[in-house]
Order: sequence, then C-alpha cells, then structure tokens
Amino acid sequence: MLTYRRRIALLLILLAPVAVSAQVVKTTVDPASISLRGPCAVYSLLVDDHAADGRLVDRTRDAHFRSLDPKVATVTPAGVVHAVGDGQTTVIVEIDGHDHNVAVSTVDATTPRRFNFENDVEPVLSRYGCNSAGCHGKAEGQNGFKLSVFGFDPSADYAALVKEARGRRIFPASPEYSLVLRKTSGHIAHGGGVRLPAGSDDYETLRAWIAAGAPFGQPTDPKTTAVRVEPRERLLTPRGKQQLRVIARTSEGREVDVTALAKFQSNNDGLASVQPGGLVTAGDAPGEAAVMASFMNQVDVFRVVVPRAEHIDPYPVVPENNFIDRLVLQKLRKLNIAPSDLADDAEYLRRVTLDVIGTLPTPAEARRFLDDRRPNKRAILVDELLERPEYADYWSLQWSDLLRVDRQALGSKRAYAYYQWIRRSVVSNQPFDQFARAVVTAEGPLGEDAAADFYKVVTKPGDEAGTLSQVFLGVRIACAECHHHPFDRWSTADYYGMTAYFSGIAVKPLGRDETLCVEGIAAAKNPRTGEEVFAHPFGEPAPTTAPQTGDRRAALADWMTRPDNPYFARNLANRVWARFLGRGLIEPVDDVRVTNPPSNPELLDALAHSVVENKFDVKALIRTITASRVYQLSSKPNATNECDEQNYSRALFKRIEAEVLLDMVCQTTGVAERFDGMPAGMRAIQLWDSKTSHYFLKVFGRPMRASACECERRREPSSAQVLHLLNGPEIQAKLSRDAGYIAKLAKREGGDESLVEDLYLTFYSRRPTAEETTTAVAYIRKEKDRRREAVEDLAWTLMNSLEFGFNH
Amino acid sequence: MSRSAKFCDGLARRDFLRLGTASVFGLGLTLPELLSRQARAAEAGKPTKDVSLIFLFLHGGLSTIDTWDLKPDAPVEFRGDFRPIDTNVPGVRIGEHLPRVARQMDKIALLRSFRHHNSDHGAADHYMLTGYFPTAGFNPTLSPNNQRPAHGAVVARTLGARGSVPPYVCLPKMHPSSGSAYLGPTAAPFVIDADPSAPDFAVPDLAPPPVVDATRLDARKELLVRMDRFQQSAEARSNHNAATVGVFQHKAFELMTSPDAKKAFDIHAEADGLRDEYGRNTLGQSCLMARRLVQAGVRCVTVDHSNWDTHFGNFATLKEQLLPKLDAALSTLFRDLADRGMLDTTLVIATGEFGRTPRVNKDAGRDHWGPAFTVALGGGGIKGGRVVGKSDARAEKPADDPCGPEDLAATLYHLLGVDQEEEFYTPEGRPVKVVNNGRILQALL
Repeated sequence: MLTYRRRIALLLILLAPVAVSAQVVKTTVDPASISLRGPCAVYSLLVDDHAADGRLVDRTRDAHFRSLDPKVATVTPAGVVHAVGDGQTTVIVEIDGHDHNVAVSTVDATTPRRFNFENDVEPVLSRYGCNSAGCHGKAEGQNGFKLSVFGFDPSADYAALVKEARGRRIFPASPEYSLVLRKTSGHIAHGGGVRLPAGSDDYETLRAWIAAGAPFGQPTDPKTTAVRVEPRERLLTPRGKQQLRVIARTSEGREVDVTALAKFQSNNDGLASVQPGGLVTAGDAPGEAAVMASFMNQVDVFRVVVPRAEHIDPYPVVPENNFIDRLVLQKLRKLNIAPSDLADDAEYLRRVTLDVIGTLPTPAEARRFLDDRRPNKRAILVDELLERPEYADYWSLQWSDLLRVDRQALGSKRAYAYYQWIRRSVVSNQPFDQFARAVVTAEGPLGEDAAADFYKVVTKPGDEAGTLSQVFLGVRIACAECHHHPFDRWSTADYYGMTAYFSGIAVKPLGRDETLCVEGIAAAKNPRTGEEVFAHPFGEPAPTTAPQTGDRRAALADWMTRPDNPYFARNLANRVWARFLGRGLIEPVDDVRVTNPPSNPELLDALAHSVVENKFDVKALIRTITASRVYQLSSKPNATNECDEQNYSRALFKRIEAEVLLDMVCQTTGVAERFDGMPAGMRAIQLWDSKTSHYFLKVFGRPMRASACECERRREPSSAQVLHLLNGPEIQAKLSRDAGYIAKLAKREGGDESLVEDLYLTFYSRRPTAEETTTAVAYIRKEKDRRREAVEDLAWTLMNSLEFGFNH
Repeated sequence: MSRSAKFCDGLARRDFLRLGTASVFGLGLTLPELLSRQARAAEAGKPTKDVSLIFLFLHGGLSTIDTWDLKPDAPVEFRGDFRPIDTNVPGVRIGEHLPRVARQMDKIALLRSFRHHNSDHGAADHYMLTGYFPTAGFNPTLSPNNQRPAHGAVVARTLGARGSVPPYVCLPKMHPSSGSAYLGPTAAPFVIDADPSAPDFAVPDLAPPPVVDATRLDARKELLVRMDRFQQSAEARSNHNAATVGVFQHKAFELMTSPDAKKAFDIHAEADGLRDEYGRNTLGQSCLMARRLVQAGVRCVTVDHSNWDTHFGNFATLKEQLLPKLDAALSTLFRDLADRGMLDTTLVIATGEFGRTPRVNKDAGRDHWGPAFTVALGGGGIKGGRVVGKSDARAEKPADDPCGPEDLAATLYHLLGVDQEEEFYTPEGRPVKVVNNGRILQALL
C-alpha cells in the first residue's frame, strides 16, 4: 500500500551507499588492545566509521580480521578473538584498504577449565530457550523435563539435569552419548528440534562440562553482578545494521565478553530486529526501539534511533519557553522531525481546561478567554484552574482509582472518609512525598487515620508492596514473587524484601472502630526456598540480620522519598506528564524497567529534577508542563511529524475519561445526571464510589478499582461507546428535554448565526468558521417547521464528532 | 485511499492494513489479504469452507461425569444419582437428563480425555477461552482480564467481518476473558448486554431512539459527515484511536441501517414454535440468537451462561434446573443448524472451564475438577457420533491420549481456517503464536 513515490524514495535509500550522509573522518577499532585471561576467553572487536557530523557507523561486518600468531589467539570472520595459548600477538583489522593493529595478550589460556554450573551451563540453557516459559521452563515442564523459568534456580536445574530421570540425561563416561546432547543436537528426536549442533562452541561447553564430571561448582566461584551492552545507543539508517557486544562484570571485578551467550530481544521487531549473537537490523521506517540483552538474570539495553531519512534544512527556529522545549526539540532535530505550530487560543483553552480540571469550559468562559488580550493569559488561566474545586474533584478521582477507594471492601462510611482524606490532600496541595509517606506509614484507628483504609482494601503484604511500588515508584515487582523478573533486574529477594516491610500489618477491630497495627519482625519467607528475607528496598543489598521490631515502614518511606531515589520523582513526573501529553515518557507509566527505557531520558531526568527542586509540588509541576510550548502545540500534523506518536512533536488526541465525558454530555445539554445513592447535582468526576452502577460510565471504561494498574481504565474505543452516543435513549432525552439547554437555545431570539456560535462555544469552546456557520444555519432554515429538532440534530452532530469526543 | 501517512512503523503498519482508512471499512482484513490467506490455508490442506463458531461456555463448570461421561460402575460416592441412557448412536451413552440431546448424538462428538492442570475459576476460564494459561499478575476480577486474546478476537482479527455484522459477538453478557488483549479494540467483541429471553429484548443502542425516524437519521448522518472536521483530516489519520472511532462510527451506521443485521438481532421475528423448542430462558434464547447471528454472517458467538458451579445439591440443581435447559437448547441448536444446512459450516463447542470432582462432597455437590472432563462439540467439520479418548474408571484423569485447551484451540482454528503459526506482538514486543503448541485433534475430524 505504499505510494509509488514513497516506494521509489525507499528504494533510493536502500541503494544509496552507507555513508552517504556525511563524510567519514576516521575509522577505529574498539578496543585498541585486548588482554584475555583463562581458557576459552573471547572478546569481540567492533569497527566504526566516524562521520564528520559525529555520527558513528558500524563497519564490523565489512572488515577482514587476521591473527599474526594463531597459536596465541585466533579471530573469527566476525571479529571475535579467541585465546588459544599464552603469549602476545596482534590482530590485523583491514578495512577500506587500511590496516589497524590490535595488540592481544593472553594468560592462563591452556589451564584446564574449571566449570561452574550456574556460570557455564545455565547460560547455555537460557541462550537456546531451553528454560523459557514456552518450553521446559513452564510450571509443569515439558515432556517430563522441567527447568526453572529463565534459570532462576540453578540448584533445581542442576538436580533436574544431573540427578533426575535416573541420571540418564548425562553420561560422564561418554559425554556425547548424554541424552541432553543427543537430543539437543538432533541425534534423537527432540520436541524442540535441533538446538545445539554437535561441534558448536556451546555444545562443546556442555560436552566438556559433562566430561569433567558435571560439577556444580563452588560457592566461592565468581558470580555475574552486572552486564553492559556496547554501544548503548546508535542512530541507524533504515535497514542499517549494528553489531552489539555484551560485557559481564563478575564479583571478582573482571569483565568478560558474553555476547555469544547473551539473549537478545527487541521491544519492537518492526523497527529493529535482533539476531542471536547480537546483530541489530533497523526496519524500513523511522522510529526508536530498545534491544534488551540479558545474561545470568542481568539486563541492559541498546537504544536504536532511526531518524526520518529526509533532513530538514534549515531546521525551523522554534521559540523555547522552558527546559521541556529545549530537550524535546533537541530530540526532534536528531530525528529530522519539525514540531507542529502553536495551538490557537481555543484549542489551548479546551485542552488545558480538560487536562487540569476534567471539565469543559462553558461558553461564557470560552468567550472571556478568547477575547482576553493579555499576553500572559495562558499562564493566568492555569493559575485560575488550579484553584477551582473541580481541580480537586478531578485529581482526587485519579488517586482514588490508583489507591483503590473501594466501597465494597470498606463500606460506604469508610470509603467516603478515605476519599475525603485524598481530596483534602489535593485541595491543600500537600507535597507528594508527604502524601506518599502518609499512605506508606498509615497507622492506628481508621477513624483517626483514613489513609490506613488502604490496608483494608489491599490486605496481603505482597499485594501491599506490589501496589505501593507500582503507584509511587512505577515499578511492577509481582513477577519476582515466583521467579527473577524476566525483563528486569528484580530478583525474588527484592520482592520478598519489599514484602517484608508489610508483614505483620493488619487491620483489627478496636472497640467500635478498627485499627491498623504492626506486629512481629520485618521479614518475609520465600516459600520456595524457605529463606527468610529481611525488609529492604528493591535494588539494595538484603540485610543479614533481623531489623529492629516495631514499624519499619518509616524507613521505606524515607528511602522512597529521598531526593535521589531513582524512581519516586520520576514516577510522579512521568504520570503527570502522561496525563497532559497523552503518552508517558515511559509507557505504560507504571511499568518502569531497564528494558522499557524512557523515550527521552534527558527530559525525564530534568522533569524529575524540577519535581525535587519544587519539593514535590504537583501544582508547580503542572505549571511547568503547561507553560511549555511543547504542551501548547497544535494537534495538526505536518509532513514531518504525522507518524510521530512518541516524541511530542504535536498534540496527541487523548481519550476522555468516562466520568469527564458524561459530565460534558450533561453540561452541553444542560441536563444533570442522577446517580444512585448520591445527592442531586453531583457530577460524575465527584463520584467517590466507582461501584455506582451506570451504563455510560461502564461502557466508556471506568475502572473497577480492582488493581493499581493505570491500564484498568480502558482507553480503547468500542462499538458500544459509539452506538451509545449515537442512539442511546438517555442521550436523546437530554438533547430533547424541554428544560434543557438545547430547547432553550432553539427558542431564543437573536438570529441563527448567534445560535450556531453558541452551539460551537458550548461543545467545542471555539467559534464556528464562516463555512460551518453557513452549513448549520442552512440546516436550521431548511427544517424550519421543526426548528427545535433541527437544533437537536446539530447538537447531536457536534456531540458525536471526533472533535468533541477527544481532548486534542 | 492509499496514503503513506500511517506506515510509521512495522507494527502500526500491520495494524493499519487491517483497520483500513477511508476506503476499507472492514474491521478485519483487506480483500486481497483475505484471499491470499485463504489460498495459503488451502495449500496447507486446511478446509476452506467458511466455518463459524458458537462457543457455549457453561460458566462455573458443567459436571461432565453427570452428563457426557457417566461411570455407572464406579462406587456410589463417585457415580452419583444419574444413570446413562442410550443415544441414537449405538454404544454411545450419556446422562439420563439429556434425552433430547441423545437423539442428536449423531451430530455431536465427545472429547472424554480432556484435561488441564487448573481448578480455579478465572485462571481456568482464561485458559479455556484463549488456549493460554494466564501468567503472573493475572487479575481475574478485571473485565476484560485477557492476557491473551480470546478465540473470537483472534478470529475477528485474522478473518475479519463478513458483511455488515460484527465478526465476534458476546451474549447475553461479556465473559471477562473474552477480550481481545493486544489485538486491540477492532478485535474486541461486540457485546449484547441483554437477555434474549426478555420480552422486551433489544440490542442496546442498536436502533435510534423512536423520535429519530429514517429520514431524520439520514439527515443526521449527512450532517455528521459534513461537520466533523477531524473525520477526514490528517489528525484522524495520525491518531489511531480517533481513526478507530471513525471506523466504528461507519460500522455503526452500516449495522443500524442494514436489513440483514436488523433481522438477525430481532429475535421476535423467529417462529414461536422454534423459540419454545429452544426454551424460553436465557440459555435457550441465547443459543437461538447465536444461530441467527451466525446466519447473518457473524463468525464467532460466545454465549456465557452462568450458574454451573454446583458445589451444593449438584444433582437436584442439574436435574431440576440446569439440564432441562441445556437439553432443550443444545439439542434444538444442533437440529436447527442441520435443518438449515448450516451444520457443516457451524462449529459448536459446549464446555465449562473445568469439570467437577468425581467424588461427591458432603453437601451432595461436586467441586472444581480440571484434571479430567469432557468437551462436547459438533458441526463445522467435526464427525458426529464419536467418542474420542476416555477417562479412567472414576473419571479422575484421562485414561488415554489426554488433550487440553491448546489442542482445542488448534482444532477450532484449523476448522475455521486461521493460520496457527501466525504471531501477534504483545505490548512488550514479544511475539506470541495464535496457538500455544497445540495439536489438531485429527480423531475428531
């Protein structure tokens, strides 16, 4: 479906020589020298062209490699140097007719290999997917052979391989007849096919390990403590390639090249795919992707940026209101994307009012703002909005969703008190660190500390730890309950360490009230290992002795809200940013992990820094974001950014929450809604009870508050939503209500043009264009016998348009 | 209208081919894509008949030891109160409270060695309705709670709509695991949230309010097309949710004005006699509605029928309430499909999320039992009158050739012509196959 012009353009790009864009200044080989230690040590060479514009282009596959002394070291055609014997030699790297010398020294190359199951065998099982969730890593294993998923449990895997099935899986006397090798090399039928061809390096590793008596290794053997992928980030042309190198750091402080054993995975195969061995290939289209490299439960990420092929020259001069604009534009320039124009006043008014107070501007408010001539009226508007009661309603709704104000779990009285506690915090603009601390450390009678209600809704220590991590840190730790988080560095120790903060916390009856009490020590037992884990924040070392008794959650709150906590301020910044810009810098906002990197890390850092500077003041953050030009861009795309949905080059269409949309329907028709058990005149964004039954709210995706996941609020459109707005009897009743706004408008004197203007200001917060006025007036006049129906039809049309149904 | 605008990345591009822009309002595939897919399926020796699916989900867990797989020789605390009866297939016997089904047995196959390893509502539901067992973080209380797309969503996504009716419909409510997960809103079910046995049954919001007649509806529609400035704009093309709403709106007008759809959704147009035969209750009328929808072109109808969780008074509840309804509904459905010549092209699957414990509990009930139960299925290429596999003497586990939800998924996709090897991407970019290593159950075909 590509247009021909586009196809030809694409063809030209593909045919063009690699370094067409800029002149090559020099070519380098990385590293310039190598020292290898131990048997089977390897190191991969990377060859780069340096372009005049500073860009690096991978040339590794174009180079020829040869070793001057193959008795010391050999080198593969792909540039991987292998130690063979002790000594010194040089690897010659020939590219474009020039030779580059890499000095190689090796020691202990011929000492017998000392095997460690976890370090040598487990990576092979991971690398070939043997222990993946779709194969032997499944909870029930595969065809009688079960491994721990992603190799989180080496001792169990060792037992499975060496001891189970009467030991027939390995055969040290004649290693190549071991079942594990016969099967994986395809000598006998294997459901998973040939995985390890006989003679391959990894086959040899397994064979040699079995021949050595299949040792488990010593507890003192080094462990992998971190991995690093090189390079970290590259700009690639469409179809461009990049070889990666993965370096593992061991507990002894050594660095080992583990590229061949690392597992690679792209977060977007269309934009950049990756082969085993770490060769990344960009797709046809511009965009960004993250390629994860994992080894021994450690992960790192390589970022691929594929700019649009067409350069923008000269790049337009775009005014910068604050640091947000500088950092977004910096990125856009790199991607050859120009931002959209500034939104006009009406677009800005509607957008910012919906974003800050979840409410549509009235026609009077719209007129006042549009006719306001003050140059700083946009900033003044935000200041006014932040002081309105609807601000508190709207933001309380959002935190009530995440902190799960739940009438079913709490009963009406307590649910209302819990909601009111949240609302008071929003009204007083309580610094967000204090708000979080109050929830994390809530204690005592529920009647006195309403934040303690959280622990009546979320009752298990693991769920409490998981929920609060997700809400306040944006990190999901639930996967690590059973096994090492597959896409992050969290281990079960991290999970149980967090859980331990909440062990012994329970809501108990106290006279006529209930109270949240804390008992026992801050430890949680890992049911799989039986190991007792003492409370500690994730990512920090676990303490070896029991902490003092008493409430330990204050320590957790201290850690969370410390200015240098890597998650807390970023989480707040990212969540608020996502609400205003329609997409988080990390998306989804509550799934922060190494392998889900921010689209603009510098911007996220800067926003988090500003949050800390402003002492976690949410209103200040809103002022900063709304003041940026980036927030105020038009939603109208230009030729360079029509495909860009992740770099904030234009305003995105945001879905409007169910409650806000229902209020908009009520406000525009002048007919309020009645909710079961709630006082008359209550608006949907004021509903503290998410269980209030209401078809409109259900269909438009109101969350049930069953989890802390932002995803519970459904943002996808559905047929049922569309049909309800088109045909719903309740909607028509509002449009045709005698006492409603539409009927009044139809009856009003003063000319059809002014009627149409009022309709547009009511629904869209803007004045109609001349053409729109003509169309609408003609419709009313054509239907003059049924004027009121005609006005209803116009209102119905505006209500069903995309312009009404989205915040843009 | 072929614009380069939307081909922004590999994934969006694939999505958009299916979503279509102004010219392609099918919710599924473009025509050439569909044709080539069918050609590929034909090459692989797969059936090319256009088969539809009615998935009757007996929510709570039908007791199959009391219906499809009786154990009259087992000790009394296992065999329960019911006796087997003969069917119209010699040698095949089923429970005595399904006498009408017994007379249609030649159209039905019983898969008696079915099993999975889970006996929890929620997780087992997800397993049966998607073919994937949920992983960590699964929250069954959400709706939808799908980690993987339901069968109907895969069908909607890969095969697309037939005519103006939606490809995938759920009734009389949406089971929480019948969502589309990462296949997105266009593969999500069209939910009829209403009881077809209610006297005033109508599909919610399908028809305009009474005050809006056809002329006025046309006028409104024309006005909407002229006045919605974003509908045809670059904004809608560059914002996929906006484009989707546009597509849904177009589909909605098609649905509202299509005589076929109108007829299909109007259960009152069905002959009274046949309505009585199906049974004037939610289950019976939902099955009838399912047939009408398939007849109008719907590819997959999932009927979610509750109350099969018979922990207490299993036998009384089954005998007095549930089985008479199931007997009428299921027997009439098979007969009705056959009478209309639709049986060859309509696959019917009736199952709960699991069976029930062979040992009767102290409350004369049976509890959850995933390790062995029976799935009943027929039509759409299934050879009726067969029993495939068997359970052990007390129906506690399969006695031979066990099969599970993956195999059921593989078989139903095979019959419908969905490519099993097709992969979709999760939001994390992980490719996931349509079927999780299932095998096609050849013995059924």
